[in-house]
Amino acid sequence: MRRTDRYRYPFILTLLVLLQFTVRSHLGGDRVAPDFLLLALLLYTIRAEPGKSAAAGFMLGLLRDALTPASFGAGALAHTLVGFASSWAKAVFFAEHVFVKGCLFFAGTWVRNFIVLLVSGRLQGSQVAWELLVWSPLQGLTTAVVGVLVLWFFRGWLSPPRRAGVGVAT
Amino acid sequence: MAIGTDRYASRADTLLFITCVALSIAALSLPDQWRDPLAQGLRQTVLAPFLFLQRQTELLAAARYRYDAVVGERDSMALAATFLPELRSENVRLRNLLGLSARLGGGYVSAEILHQPEPTNPLSFVVSAGKKEGVRQLSAVVSPEGLVGLVASVDEHTSVVLSWAHPEFRASAIAIDGSVVGIAAPHGADGPSVWLLELQGVLYRKQVPTGTVIVTSGLGGVFPRGIPIGIVIGPAGEEKGWGRTYLVRPAIHPAELSHVMILNSPRQAGSDLRNVFTVPQDSIETPP
Repeated sequence: MRRTDRYRYPFILTLLVLLQFTVRSHLGGDRVAPDFLLLALLLYTIRAEPGKSAAAGFMLGLLRDALTPASFGAGALAHTLVGFASSWAKAVFFAEHVFVKGCLFFAGTWVRNFIVLLVSGRLQGSQVAWELLVWSPLQGLTTAVVGVLVLWFFRGWLSPPRRAGVGVAT
Repeated sequence: MAIGTDRYASRADTLLFITCVALSIAALSLPDQWRDPLAQGLRQTVLAPFLFLQRQTELLAAARYRYDAVVGERDSMALAATFLPELRSENVRLRNLLGLSARLGGGYVSAEILHQPEPTNPLSFVVSAGKKEGVRQLSAVVSPEGLVGLVASVDEHTSVVLSWAHPEFRASAIAIDGSVVGIAAPHGADGPSVWLLELQGVLYRKQVPTGTVIVTSGLGGVFPRGIPIGIVIGPAGEEKGWGRTYLVRPAIHPAELSHVMILNSPRQAGSDLRNVFTVPQDSIETPP
């Protein structure tokens, strides 16, 4: 790990958190605008261990639940699962490629929404279908686009560390 | 494919994950009396600065939106205020026209001046009445203040009016008290007196006091008698020959008009329109 990584990553994650509370409401509808907080979590999970990712997801989900108390706990569970799964899957399956990471952002957003919908049980019938088939994919798409842009813009900061004997390309 | 083999979940990771899931489920099953204070506590502590930031951002956006709206309203009001004096003036003029039309009775056509941006517009302009409306060539064109000009040519629905400022304009004129007779003509095309009239051909022995109202005499058959032309404001330079020339301030400037009345029927012989028009208040009184 580079010496400056301890500053770069928190800086980018803080930036995303600030974007969530400042510009997100001006980027279109609430159901379509990119989720910067989830993006920050997914960026964190790319390089963190699954346990820490799950804990980070739980904390983030709990805080978000405090803002939407109607489904308190659902967000915590969803972000925990997404955080752990993202970190684990990234370690096992995914390559270090921007497109693959974009797909991870898209899938993470959609799965998070799916779990929240499933666990909270607030929506019924066609509302669930609309959420899962229309709005969640759209939000996943915008989140993935922003995530790819962030990766591209901060590519020097977010590129994986080079380690001897680890991550050999085959 | 690059694989981070050191990133598989360890037992500690799994344990932490299970703990988080258990806590999430516990949060899900919290009763309302516990859940609401917990959420409120989070909002008032950890989330407070972020919510403050979001609120300020929304306020900023709303302020910007309101600023645009206020600027738009201000611009609209400024635009409306720009036209307000003009509308008032036009309203007064239309009311005067209505009063004039009542006094004139019949035999006139109301027309709107189709102003053009050219600087020569006050010399001759187009009005929105023509043959179809009963306008005839050489008809007198008047406003409530007095003589404007005469119709030079007539089309189907429009006419060209030669105003008193046109170099070819002439009108037989007489003092309102009948003491002086002359020819009213534009003073010239240069200098500050370009928008003044002259009363030419006044007998040398006749003195015309300043402030005398000059009206049409009715001679020649073009203009009816009694239409105000203007007010004498003084002699026009040195006298030449056997006649005197006086400067006359016109009753109305063509550029000030938006509507005119075209007298389209011959008046009875000897008819006088002096009582129809409004005599300027600053006239008649002869200065000492």
